[in-house]
Amino acid sequence: MRVPLSWLSEFVELKATPEEIAEILTLSGHEVEEIFDPYERLGEIITVKVLEVSAPEELRESCLCKVSDGKEVFTVLTTAKDQITVGQVLAFAKPGSLTFNHLRIDYKTVKGYRSEGCLLSPFEAGISPEKNRLLILDERVEVGRSLYEVLGIKEPVLEIAITPNRGDLLSIYGIARELHLITGWELKPLLIEEKKEAHFTFPGKIVIEDEERCYRYAGRLIKGVKVEESPFFILKRLFLCGQRPINNIVDITNYVLLELGQPLHAFDWHKIRGGEILVRRAKKGERLLFLDGREVELHPEDLVIADRERPLVLAGILGGEESAVEEHTGDVFLESAWFNSKSIRLSTQRHRITTESSYRFERKIDPEGVLLALKRATQLIGEHLCFQAISEIVDVYPKPYEAPSIYISLKQIRKLLGFEVALEKVENILQRLGEVRTKGEIYEVKPPSFRQDLTLPEDIVEEIARLYGYEQIPMTFPKAELFSSKPRPDLLFSKKIKEIFRSFGFFEVITYSFINPESLSKLNLNPQDRRLKAIALDNPISSALSIMRTTLLPGLLETARFNLHREVDNLRIFEVGKIFYPAEGLAEERETLGFLLMGRKGEALWDGKEAKHDLFDLKGILEELALILRVPLKFKPFSKEPFLKTGLSFDIYLEDQKIGFAGAMKKIIVEEFELKEPLWIAELDLDALLVCYLKTQTTLTPRKPPKFPSTFRDISCILDKFIYYETIRDFLFQLQIPYLERVEIVALYEGEPIPQGKKSISLRFWYRAEDRTLKDEEVEKIHEEVAKRLFEHFRAKPR
Amino acid sequence: MQREELQRIKEEALKELETLKDPIQLENFRVKFLGKKGKITQALRGLKELSLEERRELGSELNQLKEYLEFEIEKKRREILLSEEEKILDLDLTLPGRRPFLGGLHPLTQVIEEVCEVFTRLGFEIVTGPEIESEYYNFTALNIPEWHPARDMQATFYLQNGALLRTHTSPIQIRTMLERKPPLRIIAPGKVYRCDADVRHSPMFHQIEGLMVDGEVSFADLKGVLAYFAREIFGEKTKLRFRPSYFPFTEPSLEMDIGCVMCEGKGCRVCGQTGWIEILGAGMVHPEVFKAVNYDITQWQGFAFGLGIERITMLKYGIDDIRLFFDNHLYFLESFK
Repeated sequence: MRVPLSWLSEFVELKATPEEIAEILTLSGHEVEEIFDPYERLGEIITVKVLEVSAPEELRESCLCKVSDGKEVFTVLTTAKDQITVGQVLAFAKPGSLTFNHLRIDYKTVKGYRSEGCLLSPFEAGISPEKNRLLILDERVEVGRSLYEVLGIKEPVLEIAITPNRGDLLSIYGIARELHLITGWELKPLLIEEKKEAHFTFPGKIVIEDEERCYRYAGRLIKGVKVEESPFFILKRLFLCGQRPINNIVDITNYVLLELGQPLHAFDWHKIRGGEILVRRAKKGERLLFLDGREVELHPEDLVIADRERPLVLAGILGGEESAVEEHTGDVFLESAWFNSKSIRLSTQRHRITTESSYRFERKIDPEGVLLALKRATQLIGEHLCFQAISEIVDVYPKPYEAPSIYISLKQIRKLLGFEVALEKVENILQRLGEVRTKGEIYEVKPPSFRQDLTLPEDIVEEIARLYGYEQIPMTFPKAELFSSKPRPDLLFSKKIKEIFRSFGFFEVITYSFINPESLSKLNLNPQDRRLKAIALDNPISSALSIMRTTLLPGLLETARFNLHREVDNLRIFEVGKIFYPAEGLAEERETLGFLLMGRKGEALWDGKEAKHDLFDLKGILEELALILRVPLKFKPFSKEPFLKTGLSFDIYLEDQKIGFAGAMKKIIVEEFELKEPLWIAELDLDALLVCYLKTQTTLTPRKPPKFPSTFRDISCILDKFIYYETIRDFLFQLQIPYLERVEIVALYEGEPIPQGKKSISLRFWYRAEDRTLKDEEVEKIHEEVAKRLFEHFRAKPR
Repeated sequence: MQREELQRIKEEALKELETLKDPIQLENFRVKFLGKKGKITQALRGLKELSLEERRELGSELNQLKEYLEFEIEKKRREILLSEEEKILDLDLTLPGRRPFLGGLHPLTQVIEEVCEVFTRLGFEIVTGPEIESEYYNFTALNIPEWHPARDMQATFYLQNGALLRTHTSPIQIRTMLERKPPLRIIAPGKVYRCDADVRHSPMFHQIEGLMVDGEVSFADLKGVLAYFAREIFGEKTKLRFRPSYFPFTEPSLEMDIGCVMCEGKGCRVCGQTGWIEILGAGMVHPEVFKAVNYDITQWQGFAFGLGIERITMLKYGIDDIRLFFDNHLYFLESFK
C-alpha cells in the first residue's frame, strides 16, 4: 500500500519526519518496507542547456537542438520550435526514463535525424497541467542535475505492508486514522454535506436478490458528464500511488478508493437495460467479457451486478467491457456497495483475478463508509468535471451493520499479557478503541464499524498490548512444571546415521524433495517400477521440480553433476530425507539414506599413493555401518536394479526384507548425467532399519582383554574360481571348530601359475582357549581336521 | 699389575670416555677396556699374581672402575642415541599431512541442531510431522479457512492427489495437540514448501516451530523465551525489537527483529537501511486453534513461534544467496566442516 505523505497530511497533522512516521507505523504492526519518491523513479530527467538550434527543412514542424548537461552533448528533436532559444535551461529526459503520463522515452530517428531523448513540458514532467509549452528553467540553474532536485520537488511515499486482518488501513484516510489512534495527532473529520433538493429522483431500480452476498448497495446517476482526461491533481495523486489513469470518471472512482478504501464502480447508464440493477448470483452458463479483454464463464456461486438481461460486472471484482464508461458515455451510474468478503474471495480464487477493489472487499470494508465514498466522488465530480445533473442516492441496506460486543476483564488482560498492566492505561486505551461500557469487572467494548478485525477478547488484548507498546511489556520466563520427555528414537537414529557418515568422510547434502521426471526416467526403470508412480505437483515452479521424489538418486546424481561441472571431481556425499509414495490418506513418507562416491578416495597427496573408490570401499562402508548399528545387514549379489552394473552390485537385506541396494551405476546412465565412471551409489530404507536397530540395542556384549595367548594356522589352497568366499566361510562356520576365534582371508590370487578357472586363497585361523594356553599338538590336531574337510568339500588342492 | 698401571688405565679410560661420539666408538671403547681381552678384564685376571692385601685393594679399585665405566658407557650410549635423533633429516616437514578426512554436516542441519539444543535445554521436546499435508492441518485448523486472505501470505504447492506440501511447520502444532494433553512444550523442525524462487526464496526451505501450552504461560513469557533464544544463537549483546504482527493462528501476534548483524544497526542493504532484521513470527495461541483441538480455553493458554532456518543461517554466516544451500557445492559444504 502506497501512501504519499502529502496526501496523508490532508487528514492528519504529521508531527514527525517521514522516517519517524515509518518507524511509528512499523512498531505498531504496519511494516513500512520503504520510503521512496516516485519522481526519482521516473529515471534520468535532468536539466540541460541549449547549445545550438537548427531547423532542417525536411523536419517541418520540428527542430533539431544540441543540448548539454555540462559533460556530454545530446541531439534532440522537439516540436516546440518557436519556444526554443540558445542558452535556455530545459528539462531533458534520457532514453529509458518515463514521463509522468507513462510514456517511455527512447532513441528515435525522424528522417535521418536521431533524437537522444526528449525535452519535456511541465505536464510531462509532472509539475503542472501545462502541456503546450516547454518547461523552461531559470538560466542560472545548474545543468546536469536532477530536475526534481533543482525544483525542490519532494514527494515521499511510504510503501506499507498491511496485514490481511487490517482492511481498514488500505486507504490514505485509514492510515491517518491509525496514526491518530497511535500518536493522538489531530485527525480531520470527514463530513460531506449534500443538499437534498439539488438532486433529481433516481429513475432506475436497484434490487439485492442475494442478501447473504451483498449487504448494502447504493448508487446514483450523474447526467451529461464529459468523459475526458482527469484534472492534473488527480493524475498526480494516481501517479504517486502507482496507478495508471484511464479517464476522469474511472480515475475519480480510483481516487476515492485510494483515499477512503471504498471501491466504487462506474457504469455507462445507457448500457444498463431497463435501468434495472440486479444484485444476484450468476446463472449457469452465463459469460462475461471483462474490461481487460478476458472472457470467463461465471459460476453459480459468483455474485454479479446485472441488468434485466445479462450480467454486467463480477460484483466487487471486475467490470464488464460492455457497460464500461468510455469516451462517448454521457450518463454515468456510480455504485458503492458492501459485499460479503468470503464470497468475493471465493470468486477471485475461482477466476484467478485480483483487483484493487476485490483486494479491499476480501479484507472487509467499512459498511458505514459506503455513502461517504459516493458523496466524496460526487463532490469531486461537482468540483472538477463538466456535468448536467446528479440524482439522489439510492441506498439499499436491508440489515444495517451492528458492531459485536466484546466482553473482557482486567484479570483476563493481565493473565494473557503476563504482567500487571495499570488499570488507567487499560481504560484509556479502551476508550480510544471504541465505545466502552463497564459492568462490574467486565468491560463491554463495541469497536467502530471499520474495525471488523476486532471480534474476540484476545483481539482487544492485542490492541491493548499494541497501543501500550510491545517494547514496554516486560520479558519473563514461564513458570511451569519441570518435565522433560525422552528424545524420540527415530530422530536420534537419523542424527546417528548422519554422524556416522560424517565420520566416514561424507558430506551431507540437502536436495529438493521435488525432482525432474526426466532424471527419474534416465534411471532405466521398469515401467512397472513403483518409483515411477511419483506424486505430481499441481502447480510446480518448473518441470524440473514437478514430482515428489521416490528415490534419492536423482538428487545425488544432480548434485554430483553440479559439482563435477564446477571443479569437484572427487566426492563422497550422502543425504537423509523423505521419499514419497502415493498411499491412502495423504502419502507414504519414508525416511531414506542415499550416498554416492565418485572419483578418488581421500585427498591427493604428494606421495603418489592415490586410488579410486572401488566396490569394496562401498561394501566396507555398509559393513561398518551395520557393525556400528549392530544390525545384521546382508549384502546379496547381484542386484536387479536396472541402473546398476549387475556384476558390481548387491541388494541389501535385513532378514528376508530387501531394504536397499548398492553398486556401480551403468556407464550409459553415468554419461546421461554427464558424470564420470566409476560412480558408486547406495540407498537404504531407514524406517525399516530403525525397527531392527531398536530391537538389537540390548544385545551388546563387551569383550575383555585376552587372558591367554591365541595361536594361528594358515591354509593356502587352490580351488574353483566360482566358489564364493562367503560359501567357504559358511561351510567353516557350520563345522563348529573348537577353539576357533575367527578366520581371516589373508591373500587371494588368480593368474600364473594358478591354472585357469581356479584361484588361490589363503585363510588364517585364530585359535584360543578361554582358560589356558593351547598346546601346539592340540591345535595341530584340530587344524589338520579342518584342512582335510575344507579340501575335501571344495575339492581344493594345497598350494 | 702395579698401582701405576691401574692409574694409567684409569686415566686413559676416563680421558677416552670424554671423546666418544657414536655407538661404534662406544662399542670399541667397551671392548678395549671391558671386553674379554679388555684392559680392565686383563688387569682383573692379573690380580691373581698379587698378594692378598694388594689383591683386595687393587681389586676393589678395579671393580669400582669397571662399574663406573659400565655406568658411564650406558649413560653415554643413551645420550648418544638420544642426541643422534636430534638431527634434521632430509624431509620437508612443510609438506601437507595425511588427514583422517572427516566429512561434514550440512549447514542447515547444524543450525537446526543448534536451535533445537537451545530449546531442549528449556525442556522442549523435539517432534516432527508429515511433509505432505492436508488443507485441514495446514490451514483450516490453524484458523485459515479457504476464503481467508491470509492464504495469500503462503503460496501453496498442491499435489495431484488433492493434498498439499505443508507451507509451514505449524500443522505439527495441531497434530501434537490432538495427540496429547497439556502441559506441552514442543519444538518441531522440518522442511516446508512455497511456490517462490529467487535469491531470497527457495521453493523448499526449513522452519522450526515452537509451542508451549500451560496454565499461565503469557505474552511476557513469550518475549522472555524468544529473547533467550536470540541471544543464545546470535550472542549475548544482540539487540532485540518486538513488533505487533498478524498470523491467523495467534492473537496477540508479534514479530521479533534483531539488530542487523551486517551493519550493527547503522543501516545497510541487508536490513533495508532500517538497522533491523526480522527473524521470527510468534504469538499467543489463538482461541480458534485451541477449539480445533478441543482444549479448554479457560484452563490453558500458550504461545507458538516459527522461524526460518535458512534466514538465520544466512544472517549468522553472511550468506547472500539461499540457493547455495541446495546447490550443495563441495566448497560451500566444506566451509561448515
